[in-house]
Amino acid sequence: MQTAGTGAVFPGIFGAAAKSIEWRGLIDPQARLKAFEALMLPHLDAAHNLARWLARSAPDAEDIVQESYLRAFRFFDGYHGGDSRSWLLTVVRNTFLTWRKREERRLSDVPLDEEKHGIAPAAAASQGDTETLRGCIDALPPEFREILILREMEELPYREIAAIASLPAGTVMSRLSRARQRLEDCVRRKAAAR
Amino acid sequence: MTCSRQWIDAYVDDELDPSTRWQVEQHLAGCESCAALRAEIAARHEQFRTLAPYYRAPERLRQSVQAGLRAEAAGPRRWPWLAVAATVLLAAGLVWGVRRGRERELLAQEIVASHVRSTIGGRLIDVPSSDRHTVRPWFNGKLDFSPEVKDLAAEGFPLAGGRVDYVGGRTVAVLVYRRGNHNIDLFLWPSDTGGGSESQRNGFTIVHWTEGGMSAWAISDVAREELLRFRDAQMADFSKKQ
Repeated sequence: MQTAGTGAVFPGIFGAAAKSIEWRGLIDPQARLKAFEALMLPHLDAAHNLARWLARSAPDAEDIVQESYLRAFRFFDGYHGGDSRSWLLTVVRNTFLTWRKREERRLSDVPLDEEKHGIAPAAAASQGDTETLRGCIDALPPEFREILILREMEELPYREIAAIASLPAGTVMSRLSRARQRLEDCVRRKAAAR
Repeated sequence: MTCSRQWIDAYVDDELDPSTRWQVEQHLAGCESCAALRAEIAARHEQFRTLAPYYRAPERLRQSVQAGLRAEAAGPRRWPWLAVAATVLLAAGLVWGVRRGRERELLAQEIVASHVRSTIGGRLIDVPSSDRHTVRPWFNGKLDFSPEVKDLAAEGFPLAGGRVDYVGGRTVAVLVYRRGNHNIDLFLWPSDTGGGSESQRNGFTIVHWTEGGMSAWAISDVAREELLRFRDAQMADFSKKQ
């Protein structure tokens, strides 16, 4: 157990959406691009982190982020203020879902079975704490995984998580709690197997 | 208020409304196992935040995202398609131009041959007449079109008659005009293509033009300027009628 300050590990992205940036009603594409970049590029790490945890593959995550930013720019009119990071992460999540559907169709007959992707306990036995945790997060069903990432890494309030994952706020609370329990069980199991 | 994991999680996350929060606090104060759970949950949070890797975006991703956005902001990229289309058109045009050029070359050869043959064989004129009202009806039944026969006597090109010949894979009308002692053969047939040209071949001048859906080829041993004047007279007559 460590008690290192979270600020050192997690980028402080709170309040990154500069209030002074005016993006509404911009017609000139270059001006729109400038406003969009100012609002959304600061969240590139958050977008990548979420995509990476959801897709569990570095190259796929980069594709998803790339596509997400293009989609976000295309639908920039749909951003009506509020937390720009949440808005962007919503786009990332939706892009991931589209990507996964496409992948499933491409791989036909072989659905991306979440459980199959879990790391076998024997393989994880020799790994360090980080690898154990990573393996356990990866083994979580995606609806648990995304909520955990949004809360523990992006430190988003339940309200924002609910908006991103299009869930009622109460469901966020219960699902997050179950995700944590599952994760703890998994880590405990693996620690015991070591 | 039961000792619920869910409430403690939300409590640790500071996501409870004040009254619920107060209730949980009251409960934690009196429940050792719940207080222990709270401590464990808080520790787990710290563990998670310390151990779980946060995947920062690599620099190249930042660059490619920005490049993608710039391209998107520049609007749909029309020019590559324009370039492709232009290249295809140019290639097609070149092929077409070469083919057309070759066709014209062949036609000119045939016209020269026809002109020379008619002079040698003395079969220059099938219907000798200076009256266009005689010459034009003569073509009826011999051609699948009716050529315009113009009287250019006033311009110094009296009509001498006409004949039918076979040029470029089809029967064509040949009108024979005179300029002094020289003959001018005017080949006419219907054609969709436009354009014009002039060239010298075997001592003959060949002038080609199109008007009113007809391809016209004039050949003669008169001076080039004379033949161009003949052409202008023909075209002027045409535009007079329009």
